Amino acid sequence: MAGKAKIKSALTGYGFILPTFVFLIWFMYYPVYQALNGAFTDWDGFNSPNYIGMDNFVRMFSDEVLRQSVVNALIWVALSIVLAVIPPFFVAELIFHLKNERAQYLYRTFFVVPIVIPGIVTILLWRFLYQGDGALNQLLDIVGLGSLKQLWLGDPNIALYSIILMGFPWISAFNLLIFYSGLQSITSEIIEAAKLEGATGWKRVRTIDIPLSAPQLRLIMILTLIGSLQNIIPPLIMTNGGPGYSTYVPILHMYNVSTVNGEFGYGMAIALVMFVAILLLTLLNMRLIKSDS
Amino acid sequence: MSFTTNAKKLPAILLGTGLLLGGCSGNNSGPSESAAGTSPETANAGWQGTITMYAQAYTPNSKNIAGLKSQTKLREVADEYEAAHPGIQIEFVDEEFKDYTQTVRVKAAAGEMFDVFWGQWAELNNTFPKGIAEDLTEYFDKPNPYIADKATWKEAMNATVISETRSPDGKSYNINGDYVATAFFYNKNLFEQAGIPQAPTSWSELISATQQLKAAGITAMSQAPDYDWFQRHFLSDFFAKEYETIAAFDDSPGVSSLDQSVAIAKGLLNTSDERFMGWWPLFKSLTDNWKPDYLSSDPGVVSSTARNDFLAGKTAIFYDGSWLPENAKDAKVAFELGSFNFPVLTPADTPHTTGEDVSGAVGGPNAAFQFAVATKEANASMKEEGKKAAVIDWLHFLGTPANVEKIVNEHGTFVPTWPDTKPAESMTELANQASNKLKALGVGGSSPNLNKNMQRIFGLYLSGNIDFEKAKNDVQKELDAAIKEYQSKNNVDFSQY
Repeated sequence: MAGKAKIKSALTGYGFILPTFVFLIWFMYYPVYQALNGAFTDWDGFNSPNYIGMDNFVRMFSDEVLRQSVVNALIWVALSIVLAVIPPFFVAELIFHLKNERAQYLYRTFFVVPIVIPGIVTILLWRFLYQGDGALNQLLDIVGLGSLKQLWLGDPNIALYSIILMGFPWISAFNLLIFYSGLQSITSEIIEAAKLEGATGWKRVRTIDIPLSAPQLRLIMILTLIGSLQNIIPPLIMTNGGPGYSTYVPILHMYNVSTVNGEFGYGMAIALVMFVAILLLTLLNMRLIKSDS
Repeated sequence: MSFTTNAKKLPAILLGTGLLLGGCSGNNSGPSESAAGTSPETANAGWQGTITMYAQAYTPNSKNIAGLKSQTKLREVADEYEAAHPGIQIEFVDEEFKDYTQTVRVKAAAGEMFDVFWGQWAELNNTFPKGIAEDLTEYFDKPNPYIADKATWKEAMNATVISETRSPDGKSYNINGDYVATAFFYNKNLFEQAGIPQAPTSWSELISATQQLKAAGITAMSQAPDYDWFQRHFLSDFFAKEYETIAAFDDSPGVSSLDQSVAIAKGLLNTSDERFMGWWPLFKSLTDNWKPDYLSSDPGVVSSTARNDFLAGKTAIFYDGSWLPENAKDAKVAFELGSFNFPVLTPADTPHTTGEDVSGAVGGPNAAFQFAVATKEANASMKEEGKKAAVIDWLHFLGTPANVEKIVNEHGTFVPTWPDTKPAESMTELANQASNKLKALGVGGSSPNLNKNMQRIFGLYLSGNIDFEKAKNDVQKELDAAIKEYQSKNNVDFSQY
């Protein structure tokens, strides 16, 4: 292809992709740039912002609500990662080891179908389940465990865990399919060799499946880490951070200081710190769980 | 369901207690407005176009706002205006906003705010960004061309409301034409089941009624007790003798956010005075008989569930606004609804009481006839030549006693507050009782976050998760933070008061 034709072809390609880049920059990167700038101002969301240097960041150190929010967020992240990894991986293993392919298909479908239910419906449903006279306490009564009844969302000592643990049995369809596809990608040669070495059952899971699922594990951990730090909906809808600040998380604090108090500058500073924290945790995670792919 | 006389009276009693509704009863010499067609010197410079308006509970012919009955009066007023002003249309926004504060912020930031919008004075003064609403003070001080017999527009309005709702720098951002009340509503059938013959008339009877209900296996009450509401009952009583002192800090009648902030800073309304939180243990003695589910919850999160529980007959008593009887009617509740006021306290209940009747301290000029005009910064279309004048002219037309009365009374759950207006029949009792000046006290005006944060501490205390001392320390921290914020936002030096 002549040089001119090559250039024309390249320009055509760039021409097609240009709108995507424009929108990406406009809607994704420009707001980040704005937030970066706004973090150093006292912007109220409407009037012209005033530059206040590092005041917003200094304020964070004395912000007791933010401190409690960070502790809650760390608990949330840790438990979320456990729930995002163990149950889906366990189910993926069970399905993968079914002999009958049709049964595999049916079980996969069975676990994936609930994905069509909007997340907000699930949250509202769990809010009702957790009510004092909700299904959970009624169930405990029925099975003779009435003494275990709780104010699941009204007790500051357990409300956070109630929100984190909603969604039982915690089989994320997305994570399940990722783990399942990872298991499928293990070559038959490796499996046969493992069998010859006596690696069957749990031994195979430990020595073959888990190590070879590291790329999937890493992906899910990163996505869960980011997702749980950014997930404002459950605490906002279920408790609005209460009782007290027991279910407050940084993203909810950011939302409330911005939209309720009109302190968008401070909200942006929190967002900026969260961005840096997520980036660092992601890099750390990638270093800790190395894989070739 | 049958509405008892009590149910009809009750909101009124509460409501009234505050405002100088002096003009509400009697002296209704009829509307004095000039005819709609006689357009004044509408300095709108021939502007033509559409004026958008978000009228909240008064939105006419609404299809999208839950719980609104069919209303036509505001549309009729708009039709009259359009007929007299060819080329101008009034368009009502028929949308339900789950987070109205957020909506206002976003729309204003985008320059797309509604031309005329529902805005309560406290939000306009303290919560919304400064500069989104026009200062209407200068228009209040001039004649309203549609009110022939008043030298200024404000003479047609409620003077107490104007003075109580001014911003710290003395500006009025809305026209404020109605009043809301609160009361304890109760399920008469459940009271009968528990052997309670009549509604409580004192604090001790209220406590005893909840105990009796509980003993009968009936849920006495189950809701998130709204800190902002109940503080006003108790503080208005306990600090009744200091009311004038507190209200006078800003040299104008009524308790403004500046008055509140100065009172906090001076130790009048803070934890150093034992009365400030002296009502918490007293109130806990009541909530200890409630179902505990919602005690520590955010009222905004659980209020509709709690209200539905009451309307479904699951709870016996529910503290709510004067809109509840309408809700009950819509829900076709299967029980007889009654109501009673927040009782007058006695020294036997608490040594802090002054014995004032503060049943009306929670309601106030915070209903729905609260309209502001967007600035050109919040609404780019207001830059059009003549548009602002046209919008103000529409507000003049809308803001006459006759129109206030017509629109507010059609809705039926609020009371018109302007002189020369009279309330709807169901609210007549209110007007008759509305002879007291509103002397409601509370904190919350210093920072948009203050009451929300106080609510969290209040809930933890009532639910037994923290003790009184811890609550007291936390409350003082919130108060200190709030006045610090107020100082920095408004550049105020408290020491000069």
